[in-house]
Amino acid sequence: MNDRERDASIDLILSRGLVKPKSAAAVTREMLRGLGLRFIFWDTAYSIIFAVLTLAPIAAVLLITPTERHFTVAFALSPALFLLITAFAETAERAGALYELKRTCRYTVRQITALRIACYSLAGVVYCAAVTAVSANSGAELVRLLTLCLGSLFVCAAASLAVMRNLRRRWVNAVFAAAWLFANTALPARYGAEWETLLSGVPYAVSAAAAAAGIAALILQLKSMLTEALPYADA
Amino acid sequence: MLTLNNVTKNYGKFTALDGISLEFTGGVYALLSPNGAGKTTLIKMLTTLIFPTSGEILWNGDEIVKLDARYRGVIGYLPQDFGYYRSHSPREFLRYIAAVKCVPRDAARRKIDELIEVVGLSDVRDKKMRKFSGGMIQRVGIAQAMLNDPQILILDEPTAGLDPKERVRFRNLISSLSKDRIVILSTHIVSDIETIASRVIMFRDHKLMTNDTPAAICDSLAGKVYETDNLAAITAPYLALTERQDGGRTITRFACESDCSAVAAAAAPNLEDVFLYVYRDAV
Repeated sequence: MNDRERDASIDLILSRGLVKPKSAAAVTREMLRGLGLRFIFWDTAYSIIFAVLTLAPIAAVLLITPTERHFTVAFALSPALFLLITAFAETAERAGALYELKRTCRYTVRQITALRIACYSLAGVVYCAAVTAVSANSGAELVRLLTLCLGSLFVCAAASLAVMRNLRRRWVNAVFAAAWLFANTALPARYGAEWETLLSGVPYAVSAAAAAAGIAALILQLKSMLTEALPYADA
Repeated sequence: MLTLNNVTKNYGKFTALDGISLEFTGGVYALLSPNGAGKTTLIKMLTTLIFPTSGEILWNGDEIVKLDARYRGVIGYLPQDFGYYRSHSPREFLRYIAAVKCVPRDAARRKIDELIEVVGLSDVRDKKMRKFSGGMIQRVGIAQAMLNDPQILILDEPTAGLDPKERVRFRNLISSLSKDRIVILSTHIVSDIETIASRVIMFRDHKLMTNDTPAAICDSLAGKVYETDNLAAITAPYLALTERQDGGRTITRFACESDCSAVAAAAAPNLEDVFLYVYRDAV
């Protein structure tokens, strides 16, 4: 290797080493500009419709729930919209005929899913507010129930993303949603009024802290999905 | 240049590919072997869908894993089972794929119109794809693979299920697209590659067996292929390759290690002969 080639190699190494990886915010901006909401939610309409139709009878439980159980039911159903949409849309995505092709494109399925999930989370917050409004008996209870519901939503969302990122199985979202609903049916069934007392007794500060921690964990998961380079195109 | 250095892929205890080293520079490379020999595994590794258990795959000297999106930006891929959205038109579908491939909108619009023209779908560009034939769908497939003007075009069994006319059309299309890029074509249909491949890569027992020009591969069987209508006259051990009818006679083409020129007519070997001969235990 002569001096010129050596210098060129050093320049190349330095130029590569000095390239700053794109931040999640930059990737998000770039993807929103490039794809737009239309292509981010491309082919998800049926999944969202099915999720909403499935949610309707589940949400109706809220209306017939006795007052003495509303913390239990609100806590269980807060992430329902998020879980159902994620389960339907992402399971359909993974089972879709274009999944393999999409994994080889510049924007990965993983990144597009992250943007979709961010939107589903926002929809989940609106749904939580509705659940709280229906369930709360007083203004003081409204705040307590809202923080509990948001805590439930964000912790559940962050956990489902962690599971999804680490298990690249087709049915992982659907299994997680089923597991959440099963756990929230089994616990009240096992502990009855004690479970309601426990949830209604959670201090406001604790549920607010849980919600904040859930949001932080969810943001970290989404950030990883948007920016990490793993040896699997869909990981 | 795309380089594989001693690449091995294991699925548990099963070795799908063992110690493969290859270099792809330019032109059409055909991966030819019977089903289950490891072609699709290699294709999936080249498209980052799976990664080697050991060894490395380099694009211009950099590992494709580390290049991440930059590598995916230079590949175009047509999977074996090409999925498509039946309720969309080719133009809508291509717009979507162009966006996911990060092709700028204006450039995508121009490229889509150009590719629709190239693949001969101008008349149906805005028709829903649900009534398209297999050949038309494959042409949409090749158009989507070309959207980012890839330096590496990877086609997994692109002609499977196509009628002869569509197959010829598709071969011509691939040939015309192969200038200034690497085209890697996986197939077990010999006639697909005889005319367009610049090099043929063959696997045997999950290892690389040969990587050569079609002519050189055919030469490996030179002097061993014969034709006769009287197979009973052949006393040396032989392998029957193909049969054809000629003026009411059944002509058998066979390969034989011994000189049979006294009782049969010598024939120039073709890729199909080599394929049948090499994979005689597998086909």
